Amino acid sequence: MDGLMAFWAETGIAHFTYGQVLMMGVGLVLLYLAIARGFEPLLLLPIGFGAVLANIPNAGFTEEGGILYYLYHVGLETGIFPLLIFLGVGALTDFGALIANPKTLLLGAAAQFGIFATLFGAIALNLVPGFEFSLQDAAAIAIIGGADGPTAIFLATKLAPELLGAIAVAAYSYMALVPIIQPPIMRALTTKEERAIKMEQLRDVSKKEKIFFPLMVLGLTILFLPAATPLVGMFCLGNLMRESGVVDRLSNTAQNELINIVTIFLGLAVGSKLSAEQFLRLETLGILVLGAVAFSIGTAAGVLMAKLLCKLSGGKVNPLIGAAGVSAVPMAARVANKVGLEANPNNYLLMHAMGPNVAGVLGSAVAAGILLAVLG
Amino acid sequence: MTSVMQQMADALWIMVLGMVLVYLFLGMLILGLKLLASRFAPSAAPAAATGRAKAVPTQPNLDPKLVAVISAAIQQHRAREGRS
Repeated sequence: MDGLMAFWAETGIAHFTYGQVLMMGVGLVLLYLAIARGFEPLLLLPIGFGAVLANIPNAGFTEEGGILYYLYHVGLETGIFPLLIFLGVGALTDFGALIANPKTLLLGAAAQFGIFATLFGAIALNLVPGFEFSLQDAAAIAIIGGADGPTAIFLATKLAPELLGAIAVAAYSYMALVPIIQPPIMRALTTKEERAIKMEQLRDVSKKEKIFFPLMVLGLTILFLPAATPLVGMFCLGNLMRESGVVDRLSNTAQNELINIVTIFLGLAVGSKLSAEQFLRLETLGILVLGAVAFSIGTAAGVLMAKLLCKLSGGKVNPLIGAAGVSAVPMAARVANKVGLEANPNNYLLMHAMGPNVAGVLGSAVAAGILLAVLG
Repeated sequence: MTSVMQQMADALWIMVLGMVLVYLFLGMLILGLKLLASRFAPSAAPAAATGRAKAVPTQPNLDPKLVAVISAAIQQHRAREGRS
């Protein structure tokens, strides 16, 4: 009988708390979104499963000695996982469209307004009783508007580690929701004629330009924004490996095996932060709302900047490509292409939208560096 | 309450500062890219290539005189050889 009691005391059923059951439910919702709905499955699946594992009573996944504990401390607390992902993203990114049309950097810059406006919004939310975001918390939340998962995770681990779970989940969920969130904003801010504008074909870009570009970005970052060099440096390394053409083996590994392995660990480590006491709070609700606001403002700012460029260039720029300024590569560029096709079935904006799209990645890395330099 | 106001003022300041810095940084990148393009843009390379491509078909145009001279020389040479 004693043996039976001892066994019972060890079962999950005897030890479940409401919070753990709820968080397992959250994990299952993420799994559902990933598997049945195809929302960013590469990240939401490991994050969802990590959330389930982290909330198993008596299993000790997130206590010292548990695998999620070590994954978090080795990979996230140190910032290594998001930086390795950035290396892979750099190796995956083709800057050709941006080099051919440098003006699109302005669109990538405009879309970062979503980040800084949300920083203000998060602080303003402190007026509502129950919210107490510090400036650091607000900055970590606001970076969701950069629509760049690794950047958001990197900044959150540096500025507000206790909010990491909610921020990562919000960032990746909204990235998956780009095709739903962006089009209404894009249509509301543009006329049908503007959406139908065809853009000139991009010029060819030489190999030398592509090789010098990452070095130039790194050089400028070293001179003016050293706080952003971890992100920008890894990104430029990956891109140089790709464009130099002499280390195809390394470039391929960074683009495939390395980024895949790190994605698994990153997802699990983020999932481990989805524990009841850290996630089931009023703040999480605030973060989810602010994330959506950040995203929408970023999209709107990008489109408005593109409208300005359109006016200045005498109608040569399609304002839709401004929406791609909120990174989320390549989803945002595809959305711009799709909305453009609706207005004019022969209008292919994809390549033109890739310029602001990759500019957005640089822009959010720069914004993250600025926030780190000011608040870190 | 005053501390929230203070924080909001800080946030507003960071917002303005941040946007200015992002624009400045990416603006410098634009200048850098223009510089790169002025030195390494491929527009010069294809021009040279087409120049060369044009030079090839012009060669036959130049040739007839040369061909005539050479063939005349060869004829003379053969004629001389035939004599001896």
